[in-house]
Amino acid sequence: MNAIIDFANAIFKPLIDMGAPTIMLVVLTIIALCFKVKFSKALEGGMKLAIALTAIGDIMNLLTTSFAPAMNQFVKNTGMHKDIMDMGWAPLATITWGSPYTLYFLLVLIILNVLMLIFKRTNTLDVDIFDVWHSAFVGLFAVFCGAPLWLATLLILLIGYLKIVNSDLMKPTFDDLLDAPSSNPMTTTHMNYMMNPVIMVFNKFFDKFLPWLDKYDFDSAKLNEKIGFWGSRFAIGVYLGIFVSLLAGYNFTTEQGWKTMFTLSFTAGACIELFSVIGSWFIASVEPLSQGISNFATSKFKGRTFNVGLDWPFIAGRAEIWAAANVLAPIMMIEAMVIPGNRMMPLGGIIAMGVTPALLVVTRGKIIRMIVIGTIELPIFLWAGTLVAPFVTQVAHQVGANIPAHALVSDTTMEGPIEKFLGYLVGNAWKHQGMFIIYAILAIAAYILIFWWYSTEMKKRNAKYAAAAKEA
Amino acid sequence: MAKEVKLLAACGAGVNSSHQIKDAVEEEMKKRGHNVHVDAVMIKDVNEDMLNHYDAYLTIAKTDLAFEPKIPLIEAGPILYRIPAMAQPVYDKVEEVVKKVETE
Repeated sequence: MNAIIDFANAIFKPLIDMGAPTIMLVVLTIIALCFKVKFSKALEGGMKLAIALTAIGDIMNLLTTSFAPAMNQFVKNTGMHKDIMDMGWAPLATITWGSPYTLYFLLVLIILNVLMLIFKRTNTLDVDIFDVWHSAFVGLFAVFCGAPLWLATLLILLIGYLKIVNSDLMKPTFDDLLDAPSSNPMTTTHMNYMMNPVIMVFNKFFDKFLPWLDKYDFDSAKLNEKIGFWGSRFAIGVYLGIFVSLLAGYNFTTEQGWKTMFTLSFTAGACIELFSVIGSWFIASVEPLSQGISNFATSKFKGRTFNVGLDWPFIAGRAEIWAAANVLAPIMMIEAMVIPGNRMMPLGGIIAMGVTPALLVVTRGKIIRMIVIGTIELPIFLWAGTLVAPFVTQVAHQVGANIPAHALVSDTTMEGPIEKFLGYLVGNAWKHQGMFIIYAILAIAAYILIFWWYSTEMKKRNAKYAAAAKEA
Repeated sequence: MAKEVKLLAACGAGVNSSHQIKDAVEEEMKKRGHNVHVDAVMIKDVNEDMLNHYDAYLTIAKTDLAFEPKIPLIEAGPILYRIPAMAQPVYDKVEEVVKKVETE
């Protein structure tokens, strides 16, 4: 036994010492080869992931280092404890893909999906391989909080199961929102839609008590057209630089004060733009593997037609998603400043793409409801982002980002905030036992119950769609 | 070399779905002997001014616009299903538009 471990160590130890980008270059290339991807394509993917990891680390370093003094001043000046910088989703996705365990969770979830298809528990084949990072993130966070891998895996299997069930439940609504026939195969297992049950509770409340609010719905496309460049990523980066500089109390009677403000603003704008550029390399890196897995899965189910689980933006054409995100951005800024327990300063995640698609699906495009319910649920995202910050920062260090000491990074609008709390409770239940075990069990029971209630509501909705289709 | 044809693809962050469409369309058009360049952007940044720089807009399902687009919209969603047979009709439609632009 010892000989085997020594042998494994002799091979793997030097590789692990090379750091995350090198590990992932090797691991991703090998896994892609296992799914019969051509060697040159597999290596191209592995290399792109390695450079994306390296680049994202460097940009996070640049952003946090240039903002660290201003943020310290900000905290001193205002007494507001905002020491976590919001990176948005791209860096978090990249560093989560920097862990080989993400590939482990991917394999577990593929097996789950295939089993569910075989036993006819679903009609959705998930080809959105890239977004497995949301689930892997929760699993890794549970492990970080103290859970053993098997327990984290069980949690991910539960969440993964419900996600796939949810994709079937939402399918008729997508057809409705897209004006598509039911032969349209597009649906999604994206984690942001796991907020649907909670949103459904509020939506029910609107149905019962505030239905008159719906008549104030406005034309979302026109609003977005008016906002135009003012709501673009880099513009928001620039506003944040100005905002932080003002509250940091820089002396604007001196040239230095102005210069520092402009430098900060342009650095923020540049970093946010670069995050998405690098994000696109890293998604391209997973592309050969995604195609390989899809080919493999479809070849196993010849002759059966399914729905295809995609990344969420096939409904990004609906203007309400962006109108709600535009309106929620300043609201989130205010909430972030006043809500107790939030330590995050919004920046990269301020365009709430991890929040608004679920609002669209549940309310079916009632924009006022989307904004009001969004305002109510945003604090959950802020608290979840604050909760995971130590974990995100540690993983960022592992991929080689030199984030200054005492600076923390996270994401304000990361999909699946409730799942983060579950990961936290499950991890702590294992580590500290006692009351945490009861909290974890209660939380998971509540999570399943509210999903069950939501699924009955969705089934009622889907029955109405089916009846309408029959009449037509 | 054939005349360059410029297409636009858009999705949520301009990073994932739109890039899949970009890569697939560019590769397939190259195979068919055309010179096609696709830009991938965030849907919320698409406006009338931007569309004027392109020969066609590759959409994913229904796309709300606050104006009447002057260029053709091509539904490219099926490329994302990762099943080649379903992507073929999209490529054919793209090629139709590309050929038209080339003869102009």
